Amino acid sequence: MNSDNLISIFQFILLLFLQAFLLNNINFFGFINPNLYLLFIIVYRLDGNPTLLIILGFLLGLFLDLLTQGSGGHTIATLSIAFLRPYIAKFSFGVNNDIPMGMLKGSLLSQRLLYLSLVIFLHHFILYSVIYFSFDNIITIIKNTLFTSFFTFIMVYFSMGLFKEKND
Amino acid sequence: MRQLINALIKYKNTLVYLGLLALSLVFLNLRSFYHQSIFSNAALSFSSNFNLITHNISSYINLSESNKKLLLENEKLKALELERFGEQSLKNITLDSFGFEVSGARIIKNSYNRARNYLIIDKGHKDGIEVEMGVISSDGVVGIVNQVTADFSSVLSLLHRDLKINAGFKRNGAYGSLSWQGNHPKRMKLLDVSTLNTVAIGDTIVTGGMSDYFPYGIPIGTVLDFKKPQLEGYYDIDIELFSNLTQKEFVYIMRNNKLDQLKQLNNE
Repeated sequence: MNSDNLISIFQFILLLFLQAFLLNNINFFGFINPNLYLLFIIVYRLDGNPTLLIILGFLLGLFLDLLTQGSGGHTIATLSIAFLRPYIAKFSFGVNNDIPMGMLKGSLLSQRLLYLSLVIFLHHFILYSVIYFSFDNIITIIKNTLFTSFFTFIMVYFSMGLFKEKND
Repeated sequence: MRQLINALIKYKNTLVYLGLLALSLVFLNLRSFYHQSIFSNAALSFSSNFNLITHNISSYINLSESNKKLLLENEKLKALELERFGEQSLKNITLDSFGFEVSGARIIKNSYNRARNYLIIDKGHKDGIEVEMGVISSDGVVGIVNQVTADFSSVLSLLHRDLKINAGFKRNGAYGSLSWQGNHPKRMKLLDVSTLNTVAIGDTIVTGGMSDYFPYGIPIGTVLDFKKPQLEGYYDIDIELFSNLTQKEFVYIMRNNKLDQLKQLNNE
């Protein structure tokens, strides 16, 4: 087991507990809880094993649902975004999609922002679609998706600065 | 074989994803009543459509036999009609006075060998069926509607261990609650009848008027046996049903037109 794996495990546990016990209780404006735990999927090495990422994404969502008495929305959303991540990376980074730490260094800012916002937006859209699970609530789903995505984006973007210093 | 393994390796990410997705749907179904009800509704409408197809095929094959049965029944009915010509049917009077509306439906799936049995009928909320309507057949009570889709409804059978309906004696009006113990599809138990009343073997049991689902006086069965416990004040009565729930094809659904008034009173 090399140090990359250890760091990943540490990130996994830290983000899980941070999300479950602190961030999910913010209720900003009554309904906004930024989902910082997505950071795990975002900074996972771009050349890492995709199958492992799918399994880790599933476990992350499952543990989060179990800790917060969620219905299972986080499980499905995180699992799906872990599965879709290689395609999103290919779409946003183009030929650069195999740079190991592409998210932190060695790529254009616009590419990073595109990647970041696609992952976050898709994740929240799936999450709220599963939670509300009805066409009648499409307005609520879109409203929640947009507002929460915005705050998650800000938090993830600033937190990435921290990761950058640690990893450099 | 080698190609199969290659294909498995090539699509392993998708396969892992689909497998875990199925797991998480099961998880979702276990944890949330809302999602559970949506899934079970979808499953109900799927299985009802499928059952309708199989039922149509099997009823086509049995067409000649049911023709014979219908002819026999027609003869009997004709004889009855001639016999009672001019007499008013008692049942209709009771129904009218309690504001019940009756509509017919066909059973497309019926189970009677489990502890909790359901029927599926070919009328849904398009035809005005709603949850908690009573269902009867030509010779007795069948059950209560518990789920409705656009074209189909599922009915809690009388042969459902958790269903209790209000029933009483035709002779003196003493009432109790009728439930199925899960053994024989023609035997039920009538409990909570006070020992102040007299009971005799062969007494007729009818629906009591105290339920919102059925009007008073629909025949259910006869007393087969009864016990009078030493210490308790209630009888333990075995009932034999008139109707044979294992061979029904047509049922009638009863809408209680005055249900909202009753509910209002109950709430106050």
